[in-house]
Amino acid sequence: MNLFGRRNVLLALFALAAIAPHFVNTYHLFVCNLILVYVLLSIGLNILVGYAGQLAFANAAMFGIGAYGTGLLQVHFGLPFWLAFPLGAVIATSVGLAISLPALRVSGLYLALSSLAFAQFTQWVFLHWEKVTFGAGGFKTPTVSFAPLPVSKPIGLYYLTLILAAVLFLLAQNLVRSRIGRAFVAVRDGEVAAESLGIDLLRYKALAFGLSGFYAGIAGGIYSAMLNFVSPEGYDLFQMVLQKAMVVVGGLGSVAGSVLGAGAIVALLEALREVKGIQEIAFGAILVVFILFMPGGLVGFLKRKVPGWEEPLHRKGAGSAPAPAAAPAPAAGEARP
Amino acid sequence: MTAALLSLRGVSVGFGGVKVLDGIDLDVRPGEIRGLIGPNGAGKTTLLNVVCGIHGPSQGDVLLEGRSIVGLKPSRIAALGLGRTFQTSQLFRGMTVLENLMSGLHRRTRAGLIAASLNLASYREEEARAEEEARLALEFIGMADFADRPGTALSFGQQRVIEIARTLIGDPKVVLLDEPAVGLSMNRLAEFDRLLRRIRDEKGVTLILIEHVIRLVMDVCDQVTVLSSGRRIADGPPDQVRNDPDVIEAYLGKELRARHTAS
Amino acid sequence: MLSYLLLSGVTTGALYALVALGIVVVNKATGVINFAHGELFMFSGFIAWSLHVQMGVAYPLALPLAVAAGFALGALTDRIAFRPLIKADVISLVLATVGIAFVLRGVARIVWGGKGDYLSFPPITSPEPIMIGQIMVIPQQLAVLGGAILVMLLFAAFFRLTRAGKMMQATADNSKAATLVGIQTARIYTLSFGTGAAIAAAAAVLMAPLTLLYPDMGFAFFIKGFAAAVLGGLTSLPGAVLGGLSIGIIEALAGGYIHSSFIEVSAFIVIMFVLVVRPTGLLGFSRLRRV
Repeated sequence: MNLFGRRNVLLALFALAAIAPHFVNTYHLFVCNLILVYVLLSIGLNILVGYAGQLAFANAAMFGIGAYGTGLLQVHFGLPFWLAFPLGAVIATSVGLAISLPALRVSGLYLALSSLAFAQFTQWVFLHWEKVTFGAGGFKTPTVSFAPLPVSKPIGLYYLTLILAAVLFLLAQNLVRSRIGRAFVAVRDGEVAAESLGIDLLRYKALAFGLSGFYAGIAGGIYSAMLNFVSPEGYDLFQMVLQKAMVVVGGLGSVAGSVLGAGAIVALLEALREVKGIQEIAFGAILVVFILFMPGGLVGFLKRKVPGWEEPLHRKGAGSAPAPAAAPAPAAGEARP
Repeated sequence: MTAALLSLRGVSVGFGGVKVLDGIDLDVRPGEIRGLIGPNGAGKTTLLNVVCGIHGPSQGDVLLEGRSIVGLKPSRIAALGLGRTFQTSQLFRGMTVLENLMSGLHRRTRAGLIAASLNLASYREEEARAEEEARLALEFIGMADFADRPGTALSFGQQRVIEIARTLIGDPKVVLLDEPAVGLSMNRLAEFDRLLRRIRDEKGVTLILIEHVIRLVMDVCDQVTVLSSGRRIADGPPDQVRNDPDVIEAYLGKELRARHTAS
Repeated sequence: MLSYLLLSGVTTGALYALVALGIVVVNKATGVINFAHGELFMFSGFIAWSLHVQMGVAYPLALPLAVAAGFALGALTDRIAFRPLIKADVISLVLATVGIAFVLRGVARIVWGGKGDYLSFPPITSPEPIMIGQIMVIPQQLAVLGGAILVMLLFAAFFRLTRAGKMMQATADNSKAATLVGIQTARIYTLSFGTGAAIAAAAAVLMAPLTLLYPDMGFAFFIKGFAAAVLGGLTSLPGAVLGGLSIGIIEALAGGYIHSSFIEVSAFIVIMFVLVVRPTGLLGFSRLRRV
């Protein structure tokens, strides 16, 4: 086992995260919690885009649906958080499954457009269905209580997020290296070839959309509880580009990369908190620079430089193996008698 | 005479008024190696796509073990035991050779979302068996050493052979090979010839070979079907087909005409 | 009421059509969508504002200058985010242009955004509505419509009659054959990105006197232009125009007869519906599946 291998580094990060609340102030605890929320988002999006190769832009909307679902179920129906939260995730999952339907008929750029249109539609509903969503001003959600546990809300919520993030990380890690992960990658790398091996496109695309919706829904529920407040602008296009940047910076097609990407991007986001224009330039530029010069993301870099970071089913160009040479074209006429 | 494994009954396909396939009948019996040849534009690839369910015939029926497969999804047809390979390499770029082969086991493995994500014992056993089987399949084609290489790092010919292994590992009843010999050198061709016979004899898989390389077809196939301009113009053992005047006309005639127009 | 709605629908629709034309030009040549297209539109509009309002350049001169700036920005997008990635997958290509979009947006916010203010462009015609027969018309709308039609005609002439336009057409039809006859496809890609952005720039400058400029405006126009392009089949130039007009009219009618808030969303509903029911668009054929 390599000292700085993937498992050790992630375990160390987890241990650090577990003791962090004893050392940091309220603001930094909030930032740590935010990182964990983004870890969840980033894993879900990576399953959809990095593994299953579905270029969808609806993740910010599903994040919002998780937050609105959790918040509104508490406000309108008086449900306790502990019931509203899982229900919010269920709603986000169902929406994820529903938007996978167009993905079965269209792919590539058409899917990008239909998911963008869906995201804008969701944003519009948040803004204009005022009777239910309270419009542009948003609404306050009740403070989550961890009674009878003797912990304050920020600490309790932080540990809840840490546990969920750790568990859902492990589940995703197991899943992507199984036959289901292989089916995702097969759909990504060649739909027709995947079908010829009996892999049902409908089933695996829907599964990837559903899973990303579930992860985004969980993240949204926690985020609403962190802020005690839900409003449309948290789930807009900028949110979308943040999440895309996280997945690209961490490494498309790597669950471990999602963790690194989330950490890096949230840290940068907090550092640039003051000016929106600068944030946009920074995240836009990061997206371009990583795609051009580090297409494997941080994890791709680690895989090349540090032993023990190899992962199954990596994306092309991200692996430890030598860069694959293009298949030599068959010499014309070589085989023709 | 045994019942046919794969049958086409009067299959026609038209695109915008042009008949690409015109009333094709075909019977492939179990254990056969069938060659399907024809000049460019004869409709070979269209026929393959119809059989695999990528597009439906405008008329006629396709039967696998006596059961119609027209209108089924390609993945469903594959699951019923019809495998295929492609003209261009279709290995999954993000996978190693071994992972590519394991993805070929998809229809024979069962682990679901829960078993896989929770890493349950049943899933781990299945996964270990799958890996074992994939390694055996690599040995069968003599490429055991390549297991952990990325598929795209291999030569074009090697990729094609791995693709065949990936299809075979799913235990299909019949496999359609779309121009598998493209890019093989002459001495590789002899090797490939032996591989095809071994697949039929040791795995009991029926093969349909869609080929340009006439020599390979004539050497290895039991029966050869010739298509020209969407029609079946000959059907029989290689020797008989070789001397069929219609076939000679279809091939040589075209060549002669081509030469004529070129000069 | 109806005739007024139709006229304003056709006016906005003509602008969407221009945005869509730019998207289609790029898509025809390169097979991808430039997700920074809306931001190129927005940015060119601000450049025109600076020229016209800050530096006092006359409107008829500011327009071609902004179009030239748009062309340069489009060509730059090609060099940064398309050419180096020509062999990469669609996801990388799209995300790179999304990155460019956000850089442009951030720069616009810092340079022109101030405190989130909206910049207004002085009207180039009288803002008072006039009556033509029974129809109430805002002269500015007619100017926009006329300008848009003029740009479309100029573009059609460029595409049909000039050498560069014909080479773009040839590359779009068959890039391999184009290479064989000696067309440098890399140049055509730059030209297409530039031309696409130039048309968007023209749309922005035409539109500016009718409405306000703000850094977030690009995306809404992009997605509606994209929707119009898809409605027209994504590779058809007449289809893009038809798609743009349809979306403009649908929006105006939805806004007039249902509720003003539906102006924003009707395009999204249409596009989700179209993609589910008829993903090849109204006119075009497209290969949705490639082996």
